[in-house]
Amino acid sequence: MRKKIKIYLPFALNELKRQLAYKGAFYLFIFISLFGSFIQYFLWMAIYGSSPNSTLGGLTKEEMVVYIFMVYVTSNMTMITISDWVSDDVVKGTVAMNLIKPIDYRMSLVVRALGTAVYRMLLPGVFIWIGLEIYKVTVLGLPLVSIANVLLYLMSCMMSFLICVLFDFCFGMVAFFTTYIFGMLMAKEAIMSFLTGQLIPLSFFPEVVQRMFDFLPFSSIVYTPVMIYLGKYTGSELLFILFRQAAWVVILYLLGTFIWKRVTNRLVVLGG
Amino acid sequence: MIEVNHICKDFISPKKYPGLKGAIKGLFSTEKVVKSAVSDISFTIQDGEIVGYIGSNGAGKSTTIKMMTGILKPTSGECRINGIDPSKKRKENAKNIGVVFGQRTQLWWDLPLSESFTILKEIYNVSDEDYEKRMEFLNEVLELSDFFDRPVRTLSLGQRMRADLGAALLHNPKVLYLDEPTIGLDLVVKDNIRRAIKEINEKYNTTVILTTHDIGDIEELCSRIIMIDEGKKIYDGSLERLKDLYGSRRKVSMEVKQYDSCKKLKLAEKLGVSEEDCRMEWDDEKKILGVSFDKHKVQVPSILNMVMEISEVKDIQIQETELAEIVKEIYNHGLHAAV
Amino acid sequence: MRKKMKRYFRLYRVLISQFFKVIMQSKVDFLMGLLGFFFTQIMGIAFLYLVFQQIPSLSGWTLEQLIFIYGFAQIPRGIDHLFTDNIWLVAWRLVINGDFDRYMLRPMNVFFQVISEKLQPDAIGELLIGTILVVRGIANGTAQMDAVHVVFFIISIFAGAVIYTSIKLFFASIAFWTKTSGPFLQVAYEMADFAKYPTEIYAKAIRFIITWVIPFAFVAYLPASYFLGVRGTFGFGQGAQIVGTECLIAAIFWTVAYALFNKGLQIYESAGN
Repeated sequence: MRKKIKIYLPFALNELKRQLAYKGAFYLFIFISLFGSFIQYFLWMAIYGSSPNSTLGGLTKEEMVVYIFMVYVTSNMTMITISDWVSDDVVKGTVAMNLIKPIDYRMSLVVRALGTAVYRMLLPGVFIWIGLEIYKVTVLGLPLVSIANVLLYLMSCMMSFLICVLFDFCFGMVAFFTTYIFGMLMAKEAIMSFLTGQLIPLSFFPEVVQRMFDFLPFSSIVYTPVMIYLGKYTGSELLFILFRQAAWVVILYLLGTFIWKRVTNRLVVLGG
Repeated sequence: MIEVNHICKDFISPKKYPGLKGAIKGLFSTEKVVKSAVSDISFTIQDGEIVGYIGSNGAGKSTTIKMMTGILKPTSGECRINGIDPSKKRKENAKNIGVVFGQRTQLWWDLPLSESFTILKEIYNVSDEDYEKRMEFLNEVLELSDFFDRPVRTLSLGQRMRADLGAALLHNPKVLYLDEPTIGLDLVVKDNIRRAIKEINEKYNTTVILTTHDIGDIEELCSRIIMIDEGKKIYDGSLERLKDLYGSRRKVSMEVKQYDSCKKLKLAEKLGVSEEDCRMEWDDEKKILGVSFDKHKVQVPSILNMVMEISEVKDIQIQETELAEIVKEIYNHGLHAAV
Repeated sequence: MRKKMKRYFRLYRVLISQFFKVIMQSKVDFLMGLLGFFFTQIMGIAFLYLVFQQIPSLSGWTLEQLIFIYGFAQIPRGIDHLFTDNIWLVAWRLVINGDFDRYMLRPMNVFFQVISEKLQPDAIGELLIGTILVVRGIANGTAQMDAVHVVFFIISIFAGAVIYTSIKLFFASIAFWTKTSGPFLQVAYEMADFAKYPTEIYAKAIRFIITWVIPFAFVAYLPASYFLGVRGTFGFGQGAQIVGTECLIAAIFWTVAYALFNKGLQIYESAGN
């Protein structure tokens, strides 16, 4: 295990260093990525203002504020896109290089993504999180989040990170079949922002559609951890939700292994 | 005619710190580093000359070329290419020059080569008649027709370089800049490219300025060399003179039977020259005695005589210093060590 | 001068027809890109639809009106995206890796070379959905279109596209000083998302910024609301006022952005040192 860490740690550290190297990019990154959240914030405030009911989709106005910004913190940290790294490697032909090296290609990507995730959790994740909690208690008048919920949330996030990265790895394999993955990435991001609950809480969807979402991995990526953070799940339901996340990790891991085997076989046959 | 007068170029960049801590520190630092890439270089080049512009990596070759082509503005000083200052009249200057950067293509990556030429014809406003004539000539010397219909990204490096050279010549420029035109090419292609450059120079009296690390390029093409190091000009003159100045050393290697007794020999003293003019080197393993000497001061027979007095000589080799070694010597030790 | 213009037009035609050939060779990629942008916009509409399941109107705006604004916003964006997408590369790549050199070596206007190098077919996804939504809005009577409105409409989307291009060019030009300005450009560009919704819903500071500093409100919301007639009249005077201001802003922003771009060319440092 220690040896493994020694091999893979540089990937994570390098990624962290690379990110810090662009200082302008770094400050701005925080700024940009919050834009969407502020648009959402104002939009939802207007929506609640126009509604005769005080709860929409099971959330009060105050909870919605928490939802919007926790979606930001969560998706920022868990939704690391590795498919463009994969497509990059495919286009440059470095995948073949990776086959020669005595490391697992997927593992090196996951660890690299972890570097990014940690970085994003620290900056700006934690700051926004703390800011939100202060705002929540002083302005919105909600109680401080409980330690238990924070721990459950973090555990859930770890699994969403894995679900997202493993899914994206499978998706990245598409790069072997198309030269222009950008369009697919756009489409994927658009659809995922919807299905993960980034754009709107999944509870706003009609009952039937929500039932369908239960059979897809996407709700586990953002919606689940954020709702856990809000304390919307308790008891057996909570256990079931966490179990479902774990199941998706396993399923996507196996699926990735299967696809990777098929693709590398093809790679060997075609001579990469 | 090309005139370069006292040009300098400084680059200013934010200071970088090593390591992860350094990266974090760099976020908050505003320190700047000024690097002088080219300092006070002047020269004049006549029409039709082929000039080799050489220097080690990072010596400032490309920076100078970029200033002459109008890509970079000099920090001070000025260039005049046929009377035009490229930093002030970029477009006008661009009409008269052709440029090839060995490391990157200027062709349209996804388009067939033929289409790149069609576009360039429009860009440089080449008339149909001139276009036909020029293409015929370029096809002859560069053999472009073999891959004329293929997208640029599918060309091999050698084909791409020929294509790039052709593209740079389509509008019959008065001056041609070549930045490492033979880098990474095999011998046959190198030879082709060199022949093409020579032919173009002869036929159109095109002035050629090329930077290269390949001594072969220089020996075959350049009548004149400008050498720079750390942004300063250190040599400007003919190839012959450079060889004459720095290439006067020869080396004779002898495989001797009585190796140990030869070791006691003090050649320089006996011949009455300084240690530097007649240096002895020993290869204990192969029992070879090497003598590196100045050919103007010491003759081979006198060395041989001395050695043969002591020992039987089984084999002799005499080497003339090659240009590559002169250049290496100058790069490594600066100009003075080589003199 | 006319001869020069003619030459540029001819060259543009040559370049663009080449790109059509390339696009046609990779139909799958083309379709994918188109679908990508199409989906992104569809999701925005779906979002509005879901929200309106819960409320009758949003700050006095109906779903149909919001969809019209949303669709209208896509058209200038799509036009700019289609023709000047290569500006993004200036911000992200061309300056820092020195590929920008090649524009400096040719006897043509550098900005022209930058934009003529690429046509972005993905933009058709945006144009398509924008057109569908606007036509839909007109068909169901949400927005009004008579001859005067059509003229204003056409002027407005072109001025809007110029505003988009200017903002992109301005922020891409910063790359000449900072080597890469992709993140800056990204920030500015994403501001446009604010303008997809009525600006009244935002805090005053934000409203000020997107109206006057990075004036995306003039690209979408303000002209669109004129066509919706929410200010009471659909009159000529009001149209002239809004669209006129939009054109003025477009002219000012273009002048500033282009000047910065030219200043950047003066200090361009190339790469490889």
